[in-house]
Amino acid sequence: MPKILSRWLPLAIVTLAALWMRTRGLALRPMHADEANQAVKAGELLESGRYAFDPRDHHGPLLYYAVLPVAWLRGQRTLAGLDEVTVRMVPALAGALSVLLLGILAAPLGRWPSLAAAAFLAASPPAVYYSRYFIQETLLASSTLAAFACARQWLRGGRTRWAAAAGACLGLMLASKESAPLFALAALAALLAARPAGGPSMPRNPARGLGAGAAAALAVAALFYSSFGAHPAGLQDALGACGQALARLRGADTGHEKPWWYFLRIFTWQRAGGLVFEEAGFAALVLGGFCAALLRGSPLLRWAAAYSGLVLVALSAVPYKTPWHAVDLAPGFALLAAGAVAALSRTRPGRWAAAAAALTVIGFLGFQADRVTRPYASDPRNPFAYVHSSPDVLKFRPMADGALARSPGGTIRVISEEYWPLPWYFRGLSRVGYWDRPPADCDGALVVASADLADAVRSRLHGAYAESYLGLRPGFVCVVFTPRR
Amino acid sequence: MKNAATIRLAAAVLALASFARAEDLVPLKVELPKPLFVGTPRPIKVSNLEPQEAAANRPPVLVPAGTVLLSRGKPVTASDSYPVIGELGYLTDGDKSGVEGSYVEFGPGVQWAQVDLGAPARLAAVAVWHFHAEARVYHAVVIQASNDPAFKTGVTTLFNNDDTGADGLGKGTDLAYVETYKGRVVDAKGVVARYVRLYSDGNTSDELNHYTEVEVYGKPVN
Repeated sequence: MPKILSRWLPLAIVTLAALWMRTRGLALRPMHADEANQAVKAGELLESGRYAFDPRDHHGPLLYYAVLPVAWLRGQRTLAGLDEVTVRMVPALAGALSVLLLGILAAPLGRWPSLAAAAFLAASPPAVYYSRYFIQETLLASSTLAAFACARQWLRGGRTRWAAAAGACLGLMLASKESAPLFALAALAALLAARPAGGPSMPRNPARGLGAGAAAALAVAALFYSSFGAHPAGLQDALGACGQALARLRGADTGHEKPWWYFLRIFTWQRAGGLVFEEAGFAALVLGGFCAALLRGSPLLRWAAAYSGLVLVALSAVPYKTPWHAVDLAPGFALLAAGAVAALSRTRPGRWAAAAAALTVIGFLGFQADRVTRPYASDPRNPFAYVHSSPDVLKFRPMADGALARSPGGTIRVISEEYWPLPWYFRGLSRVGYWDRPPADCDGALVVASADLADAVRSRLHGAYAESYLGLRPGFVCVVFTPRR
Repeated sequence: MKNAATIRLAAAVLALASFARAEDLVPLKVELPKPLFVGTPRPIKVSNLEPQEAAANRPPVLVPAGTVLLSRGKPVTASDSYPVIGELGYLTDGDKSGVEGSYVEFGPGVQWAQVDLGAPARLAAVAVWHFHAEARVYHAVVIQASNDPAFKTGVTTLFNNDDTGADGLGKGTDLAYVETYKGRVVDAKGVVARYVRLYSDGNTSDELNHYTEVEVYGKPVN
């Protein structure tokens, strides 16, 4: 059978399935506060062409720039014209690319195990969920895989262009998120740990390749952080960003402290409010892959075990944890699970048992991925819907449009300690203001106040207002004041 | 003159009726579950959301002496016949704890649950606990009573805080309220009915609808 049919066609089908899972109904889930915040920044870049790296509250610039081609292709030129599908398409495409790259990377495991690796990642609940989520994590994961794929080509053939390509991908990693060095170092350490007996097989002229790679990495990262030369100060800010990220990871009282077993629970079993979310079958295969790597694994499997182990230990050791870091573990775990399938196919039960195990686990992962991305997409019991916006946020814009239709030229006031993702939903409206405490004049065509500030706001309103209640997120209720006619 | 006489007569009848009613009325004692959240994360302090102090010191609903709990163990039907979480029987099983396994969860949008008392009764009060593990407000809460299981005829609305008409039952003026372990006790005003139906349209945390317990108090008609 030609290779294009036996190897590339199945991989293309898995990649297309991954793309479908990552793109269907992209606009249905309400925007998370982080997504909204970054989408507004992307919209401002799209509209004005201006961007300046902010090391304090935001990650790398790549995400915002990556929106531009998608927006242009969809004919969107302004923040008001931008929509959820456009911004979420960026991580969705990166997520599908990750599946393709993993299928290519896993080739040494064998034809079917490598396809299984791609399918495990395609159906992985955290990978699917955060591929539909406008944050940096999926871009970081896909550029990490691309960097490793290119680096492996360089190590095999010694061609400098592959080293430069690996460096460019490393630059994209750095431009994604300030935690990129952690994954680059883990990949390097794993490469040393998994090297074949007799030492690493380096190209004949490694200095040239390493130099080209370093130059490409620095050039790509510098281009993005300096806003393509328009904001040179971004380079200096980028250097300080890693230190700030480290401080955040080690810091206490950030509100994101979790126990050390947090990621183990995500990849095994958890129950919340009567709902069970589990990947126990996948976890069993991952464990089997670890054992296979330790016993007689190929260099690739040993690399996956070392890399996943290092990243898991690092992420579990720091108190600061958010569920999207699970995306950084998913590709390595998928490789290990595929390693277990490969090992199983060599045992007495043989190929059929391996195929049955792989298909069962893939099917179950797909079922779980569907649950977390559709019926429970913003449910607080969903382990990936972290401090998520309430579906009520979708009602704010129709209320604002209705209020402005009744009072043309009126003002929308948002008076609340926290107000994201409302700026995204109020995009394109010209007279919207945000206050974290009640201003002297609170009157408006629509006044949104947090429950805590509602008394103070009400005391400053003139005339009669109708009141209703909408949630911003679980436990955070807003009072909406609308002038009575 | 005729009008004045009529007014005097009506006033006398009203006074007599209220005197008779006051004489027979006793505070309704509702058994409360233990509070699940000690210190609400974000106290909601808005006047027409029912002030916290008012909720804490809510006066008891007065009911006729001899009023009993009619709904315990009675059959329940709902717009969502196959809830993902819990069972319809949870509404009348007496477990108001609010912990996992004590509440039923209906799907998104407008949903209703209905208690069949088995026979018409003179209703005194309806108490409902939606979900009290977190501060949240349920949207468009409507409570109705009727002798028609389809709620097409003889329907009496006992409570309606649906200020947008989302349920399709008309707009109401009752106040929205924060769910707490105290639930919400509604005066049923002596209406005679066999069925009690409760509506809601999601809540401020998600689009789903929950019931931990529903209690219907009153006296059998016969």
